[in-house]
Amino acid sequence: MDILLSPQLLAAALITGVLYALISLGLNLIYGTMRLLNVAHGDLVMIGAYVAFMAFSLFNVGPLISMFAAAIICGGLGWLAYRSVLQNLLANSEILARLEENSLLLFFGISVVVQNLVTLFFTADRQGYEYLSAIVEIADVRLTGARLAVLVVGSVISIVAVLYLRFSLFGLAMNALIQNRDASAVVGINVDRVQMYSLVIGFGITGLAGALISVLEPITPVMGFPYTMSAFVVIILGGLGNLWGGFLAGLLLGFLEIFGVAVTGPEWRSVLVYGIFIGILIFRPQGLLGHGRIAR
Amino acid sequence: MLKRLLTASLALVGMFGLLGPAHAADPVKIGFSIPKTGLFAPAGPSQLNAYLVWQKMVNDKGGLDIGGKGRRKIEFVQYDDKSDPARAVKIYEKLITSDKVDLVMAPWGTPHHFAIAPVVERHKFPLIGNTAASVALRKVKPGYLWFTTPMMPDNLAKEMTAMLKSRSVKSVAIMYNLLPFASENIQFLMPALAKAGIKVLFEAKYPPDIKDMTGMLTKVKAKNPDAVLVYSYPGDSILYMNQAREVGINAKTQYVMVGPAIGFFRGMFKGNLDGIVTMAAWTPGMKNTTGSQEFYNAYKKMFKGHEPDYLDSVEVFVSSQILEQAIAKVGLDREKIRQAVNTMTFDTVYGKIKFDGVQNSITPAGFAQIQKGKIEVVWPKQRATSSVVDKGAWAK
Amino acid sequence: MSNSFKFICIAAVIIIPGSLSGFASEYMLGIGFTLFMYIALAQSWIILSGMTGYISLGHVVFFGSGAYVFVLIWGLVPVWLGVALSGLVVGFGAIIIGYPVLRVRGPYFVILSFGLAELVKNLVLINEARMYVSLRPVFGAPPLAQLYIAMLVLAVGATVLTFWIRRSRFGAGLRSIREDEWAAETIGVPVARLKLMAFALSGVVPAMVGAIFIMRSGIFQPGDAFNPIVSFTIVTMVIIGGSDDAPGPLLGVAFLVILQELLWANWPEIYMIILGALLIGFVLFAPGGIFSWLSKNISRGNKNAA
Repeated sequence: MDILLSPQLLAAALITGVLYALISLGLNLIYGTMRLLNVAHGDLVMIGAYVAFMAFSLFNVGPLISMFAAAIICGGLGWLAYRSVLQNLLANSEILARLEENSLLLFFGISVVVQNLVTLFFTADRQGYEYLSAIVEIADVRLTGARLAVLVVGSVISIVAVLYLRFSLFGLAMNALIQNRDASAVVGINVDRVQMYSLVIGFGITGLAGALISVLEPITPVMGFPYTMSAFVVIILGGLGNLWGGFLAGLLLGFLEIFGVAVTGPEWRSVLVYGIFIGILIFRPQGLLGHGRIAR
Repeated sequence: MLKRLLTASLALVGMFGLLGPAHAADPVKIGFSIPKTGLFAPAGPSQLNAYLVWQKMVNDKGGLDIGGKGRRKIEFVQYDDKSDPARAVKIYEKLITSDKVDLVMAPWGTPHHFAIAPVVERHKFPLIGNTAASVALRKVKPGYLWFTTPMMPDNLAKEMTAMLKSRSVKSVAIMYNLLPFASENIQFLMPALAKAGIKVLFEAKYPPDIKDMTGMLTKVKAKNPDAVLVYSYPGDSILYMNQAREVGINAKTQYVMVGPAIGFFRGMFKGNLDGIVTMAAWTPGMKNTTGSQEFYNAYKKMFKGHEPDYLDSVEVFVSSQILEQAIAKVGLDREKIRQAVNTMTFDTVYGKIKFDGVQNSITPAGFAQIQKGKIEVVWPKQRATSSVVDKGAWAK
Repeated sequence: MSNSFKFICIAAVIIIPGSLSGFASEYMLGIGFTLFMYIALAQSWIILSGMTGYISLGHVVFFGSGAYVFVLIWGLVPVWLGVALSGLVVGFGAIIIGYPVLRVRGPYFVILSFGLAELVKNLVLINEARMYVSLRPVFGAPPLAQLYIAMLVLAVGATVLTFWIRRSRFGAGLRSIREDEWAAETIGVPVARLKLMAFALSGVVPAMVGAIFIMRSGIFQPGDAFNPIVSFTIVTMVIIGGSDDAPGPLLGVAFLVILQELLWANWPEIYMIILGALLIGFVLFAPGGIFSWLSKNISRGNKNAA
């Protein structure tokens, strides 16, 4: 069992965990502030990955720069989605009564549209490019430059984002909205604006994560779906709407997956992930780190 | 809607036209299904592109030679099967009974071939399969379906063991994806290795959605096997390529099943692919083959410098060549084509091919290795364009 | 709108294509098969999700499990007994897993149902690998005409079942769960038992559909049999059709299957885009679906006439 002490494994767990944390952050933000279940979330990862791929193949610009473009484009999509559709959705009492279910269907529709538009433009062919492929050695850990970059950039961005959303004025307003929607409107928080920014930030961060992921796996129009699933597992684990919990849960899932698999055998990976997920839903729906209050 | 009605009425008129003798200039209608959406969509272009290249090459020559009685151009009727075998069944029924195509060509992947077998059987439409490989295919009733692939898992196991022995490999580590083709390979590989006295130091299977291999690879490294065999698909092949380098897997023989033969993959890894062995039996410069360089050039020209997939695209082109040559011999009579496919020997980019029952009885299963950025066939020896070399240190 | 009108609706959609089976082309039979398959699936979805409000995004779990049970016993028992057994086994399975699963409510249930399907898919994958089975072709299945009739029977059966439940005490109980589960419990509705029964019932039909479907596709693969797209398609059809009653899904299914046949041939991506756009449109502008939109407009028309 000395494999469990391997620093290489620790690094792998951190990379996986940080990506999960980063990707689930946006999903959590959007659920927390608006109670929208965004099943198109992984498609933002996909869009971010295509942005990075295009930037690299057309202008020879690496993902560490194009990730900001991906963030801006996806954030812009968030703005567009809010102004064109979601704003009305959140104002319609008939829909509001079953908001989770309706938003889920709505985003499923959006997901189908987005995936097929991308297929029309780029074909379904896999894409990929070479970037920072040299090995970097730090202490006993050896990582490709790209994975190291993902680890560093992913950690920095997710920590900055979590801290910002916890301590800034906007973050406070947003947390108030997550805690209690009606009361926050009464105390003078501009609910509309907070919602829109949540969407823009949530989409933007996810697009950025997609640009990072573009160096790790083949880019296809259907690559986002597994990330939607992982992000849901994470935010359930951390408690719906609990940003800090979600961040820790992302790391936790990364560790569970990497170390759990090292102990049980890789064929159990998905069973492990979904098993934990279902166990949590049944026995602790407020999340591992929640306090008995169901955030809805 | 109006356009559909128009097409429909035109088709009706066309059917009456068929009552008379077919006009020599009428194109030959060939139908097939392609996964354009769904799970296998990323794999679809390897097949579709090869069909399109073949169509262009034939039409540029003036069309298919119809049994020596003049040429007719090829027209494709293709539908998206959404990666769903049941939909492929429906498509072939539609192609045959409603679109009235002259001939059909293969769908993508093993399950789809199983699915449509009863349809082509029932309607007596000969179909040369490609992109399908499983020993279970041999259980398909011989008649109207043939399988071009040399990559049957039992033959692969045999050749793999022989190659390992030729390299004096004494011990291996094996990792494989749970998807059907990979696990079927292992089913045959294990006894073959045991018989050859090659020790399996490590064996692990993993689900298709695996996101990290560090744990497995750390264990593999600790065992220090002579060879590492990874029965993987493109997504997990990428994981292996990245993380084997990180962990520092330095075995002299490393096999990565599906991926290295596909263009995008080589773009991603470039020099680091040198020395990796993969599943493929073709390279453009191969001797004793027919049309290899022409196919390669036509493909690159048609798809803006992209290379064909050395595995799937090539196999698809082989099946097209077989159909083309059968038609050149006997014309478009489907029963005669069936007999021709059963008895003729074909000249293809894989070399000579003859069918025994449902399977290609000449082309052996084989492997290729990336050497200095080029794909060289290295096994079996009688087909090799180069010999297997030790995988050197990973490029930096 | 009167019940009899609904009946006519149902009868028309089912019997007309049914009677065609004798002389229709193979291609038409194929379309009919798909149509009935989704009618059966959508109706069974209504029993649980439409009536109780426990929206399931993992309905494919029953479909896939049924298919798996069926291929496991393929060749060991007569074909149609195998289909029935698949339904029974999955129904029992549903009762066992239903107890813990149905404690989870609201959006949590939605996500759970989805995860459950993925979990079962992966368990099946592992089990197949343990048995060293990689492909399960189904050779020698009955011809399409027979499968078509079988699917027709299932579709009619599921429609009648849903129609009947909707009008029974059982159905009233289920709908009280949807309106307010806590309140229903306090006034003495046996909530847990009703939910469990609905869960099991809504599992039996898709299991049998899955078994028949495997004979049509000729091969079992976990990835296909548990494809989440099936679940999403079912939900989309019901939403577009609308209502928690039997006629809604009929309209939704018919609409989508026909649209698919019209567009899929040449514009697969465009079809998917239209499908997505329709779903968005219905959620936003006609949450009641085609059926409630129709009923509203028809009753308004009647009033105007009077």
